[in-house]
Amino acid sequence: MNTSTDNSLPLGTTAHYATMHTWLQRGLFACLVVLVIEASLSLPLIAVWMGWPTLSLTEICHEMTKVRYSSDAAECKVPHPLFDPSEGVAFKDSAEDLWGIQPRPLYKRIGYRDLVRFRDERLAREEAARSRNALAAAPAPITDASTPAPASASAED
Amino acid sequence: MASIRQSGFGAYDAHQADSAAAQWKADKWMIAGTILMGTGVLGIIGLPMFFYGMHLQKLAARAGFSVRPLIVTLIGYLVIIDSALNSMGWTLDLFAHHTLINRVLTVGWGALFDGGYFWHYNELWVGGAGAPGEKAWEIALIPCLFCARLAAAIGLLQMKRWGQQWLIVTCWMGIIVWTGYNTNMTIFADVRYANIAFPVWGWWLYDIWYITPFLALPYLHTVNREIFSE
Repeated sequence: MNTSTDNSLPLGTTAHYATMHTWLQRGLFACLVVLVIEASLSLPLIAVWMGWPTLSLTEICHEMTKVRYSSDAAECKVPHPLFDPSEGVAFKDSAEDLWGIQPRPLYKRIGYRDLVRFRDERLAREEAARSRNALAAAPAPITDASTPAPASASAED
Repeated sequence: MASIRQSGFGAYDAHQADSAAAQWKADKWMIAGTILMGTGVLGIIGLPMFFYGMHLQKLAARAGFSVRPLIVTLIGYLVIIDSALNSMGWTLDLFAHHTLINRVLTVGWGALFDGGYFWHYNELWVGGAGAPGEKAWEIALIPCLFCARLAAAIGLLQMKRWGQQWLIVTCWMGIIVWTGYNTNMTIFADVRYANIAFPVWGWWLYDIWYITPFLALPYLHTVNREIFSE
């Protein structure tokens, strides 16, 4: 029952609890404002942290999957077919963890725009591998019969 | 007769009708703002609409109309926003786990604040977060807690006694949730916090604003409940 005779108090607030109600109101107001701003900005800020607009959302998805499974082969399937098994099942064997009753993941930490760097480093690795493969696959140069054999070959004979 | 109408029941009825109209005018702005704020990404648009509704309610109170106390308005709408944001995030994880937006927003959030939403994500046959216990929390809390709390908040905003009582019940459920959820996160702290960008302190900084039940309960237990109608 409201026993207060103070008309300046809000309806339902007694003098005894007036200070507490004032502070609760301030806390509620702060929570509402921060919650709404935070929820509004989460998607754009996460996207920027992960590399957007340098990376598209699909590329961000790919790069995060590669980090999660510690594998360059892991990729997001976009769009994912409705009745396909969960996408992670295909890559789970490459994931690095310390397994136990309390597992510990060993993937890389993703810092600010690290995914862009990871992507560039991966592309450089792939390019280097392609160059090496191209060199290895190239046909041996045709040599003239009159050309003297290299010294090392002669030494082996 | 005219003088009786002005000073008797007629004047009271007119005051009640004008108060209800003033409250509804303010509520229309706050409801529209809350719907936008509940979507998350459109919250920035909804916030000024909500403020305008609050401003209208304050003006009505100053003009002498019987409108809701401001703190009841804040609790009611904050509970709705809190429940909507929680439900949306977890519903994305439960049902829309393979959409591109979820695999950027939720998984990206996981990589920054909570490894439970990054570690072995989308490996369970139901998809989504695979952290120990997480799916159980989602399935229990969305239909049981957040739906009930949303309904209670609407009852509270209508100044109904059942709204106040059910908000007390569901806010106490919230205390159990915070205790249980954080204990689970602590026990499986490596899964939740190892090798993510903002471990522990980042999670608290991001999530402390969902502390609504802890702020609502002291008010709901100390308010003069006679202001809520049967």
